[in-house]
Amino acid sequence: MNGKPVLEVTGLTKAFGGLTAVNDVSLTVGQGEILGVIGPNGAGKTTFFNVIAGSMPPTSGSVHFEGTDCTGMRADHMARLGMTRTFQITSLFPALSAFDNVRAATYRTKSTGWMSAIFRSTAYRTEEEAVSEAAREALRFVELDSRADVIADALSYGEQRRLEIAIALAAEPRLLLLDEPAAGMNPEEGQRLVGMIKNIRDRGISILLVEHHMRVVMGVCDRVVVIDHGIKIAEGAPSDVVNNPDVIRVYLGREAVSA
Amino acid sequence: MQRYFPLVAIAAAIVLPLLTANTYFHHLLVLWMLFSLLALSLNVIIGYIGELSFGHAAFFGIGAYVAAILGMHTGLPGVVELILAAAIAGLFGLVIGYVALRIVGPQFAILTLGFGSIIYTITNYWVDVTRGPMGISNIQPLSVSGDFLALTGALGYYYVTLFFVVAFAYACYALMSSRTGRAFIATRENAPLASSLGIDVFRMKLLGFVVATAVAGIGGALYAHYLTVVTPDVMSLQYMAALIIMVIVGGRGTIAGPIIGALIYVGLLEALRAVGPLRLVIFAALLTLSVIFLPGGIVSLWKKWFGDAETGEPAREGGAS
Repeated sequence: MNGKPVLEVTGLTKAFGGLTAVNDVSLTVGQGEILGVIGPNGAGKTTFFNVIAGSMPPTSGSVHFEGTDCTGMRADHMARLGMTRTFQITSLFPALSAFDNVRAATYRTKSTGWMSAIFRSTAYRTEEEAVSEAAREALRFVELDSRADVIADALSYGEQRRLEIAIALAAEPRLLLLDEPAAGMNPEEGQRLVGMIKNIRDRGISILLVEHHMRVVMGVCDRVVVIDHGIKIAEGAPSDVVNNPDVIRVYLGREAVSA
Repeated sequence: MQRYFPLVAIAAAIVLPLLTANTYFHHLLVLWMLFSLLALSLNVIIGYIGELSFGHAAFFGIGAYVAAILGMHTGLPGVVELILAAAIAGLFGLVIGYVALRIVGPQFAILTLGFGSIIYTITNYWVDVTRGPMGISNIQPLSVSGDFLALTGALGYYYVTLFFVVAFAYACYALMSSRTGRAFIATRENAPLASSLGIDVFRMKLLGFVVATAVAGIGGALYAHYLTVVTPDVMSLQYMAALIIMVIVGGRGTIAGPIIGALIYVGLLEALRAVGPLRLVIFAALLTLSVIFLPGGIVSLWKKWFGDAETGEPAREGGAS
């Protein structure tokens, strides 16, 4: 990583009453970097993710995006700054076609409103063209262009997960927060996802990935942060982290740590 | 043909009252258009932002009373009155929406019922201003200024209201093919996802609510000038329920739906005049049947029989037009 970090999390703590779900976790995501956050079930990954993504304010600590303090900011404000999240449980606009799902997601990148639509202004026409083009491009990227007119609800599970990525990309983020994107995927779909995440980075988008699947994390991340019981226990390159005795202990008897 | 359907429909609506000189028929047409305007505005809340409002008739009533009271005391030109009716109803919408839209779903519906009842009760008891249950009568006809171009017959009101219905229907169509409209639908379909894409969900809902209430205010003002009488009854539960029936039975989230719903309501109200209060039971049954068997409303039948119609599902068609 070089230059200023895109995301800088400092001493993040989130307590629910007496339970400290996330305890003093710090990390940075560099420009064009893919950072993985892993940990066993109940380690506090999702809470950590939700605090960063703006679903809930932290108890203490701070989150900076490109130098802007966005600690405890609302999700829509964060999205407008240029950081987009996905959801652990499939989250789409179920009654809309795949194409309309992605078109709705271009909201942040455009500016014309209702009035220009009423008067069919030139700016409106140009932007609508750009919206459709961006939506088609995002669908092509996740290989769903042939399914553009299908209602999201009728897509297969794997297709829905890819559509989610297309939605997130259509918002043109500079930082993408992925919340367990491989959840419920079979190994083959997981591999496809790994390729896709690398392609996203090649578009110049930095990625923070919270994931349980070791295979996905090891295959795609530049660096990995391991969380257990809300505490950061290891950080480094994937190959170093898998040999870390603490990490092995945490994962022992659960899942092979090898990639 | 689908592309020209709206134009054909407008042309038919213009010719329709000229087919007969029967003033009672004209009266029914005016009611149809007034209810169409109201149902279209309520449709913004129910169909586009996806909330249920039981308070819509109250904003209709506010518009009617603004027109009546202004007419009584100031003699402002009709056009100014319409604008003021929209502004004041919209202002009430802004304040009530600002408070109530913090909560969504069934709780929001109950809150609007509460606010609607408060406005109804105040209208009923604040006799100095509203003349209480007696209502206000002898409201001046709608005019450009004084007696200039004063509308007296039903035919005139029909065309004026038709103009507002067409204008607002077009505005709804434009909304649905705009970035703002997509944000409305995104908010309705999945608020957390919409929020993660940079859409301010609360602001979108508030915008939809204020527009809907302002248009209901215009409808109210037109109603007051047309009937020349307004009583608190226009805000009663019966009207609130009627508006919801029109939107749901016609087809929420569409443009043709609420207009067809209004036609069915006005038509049945007349056809069933003989059975008296039993009509309300029939309307309730209609609503229930529609929700169970035809959740997309009457307009979804069109889609089922003739394929995708342009007016049938504005949310589905792109800015490709």
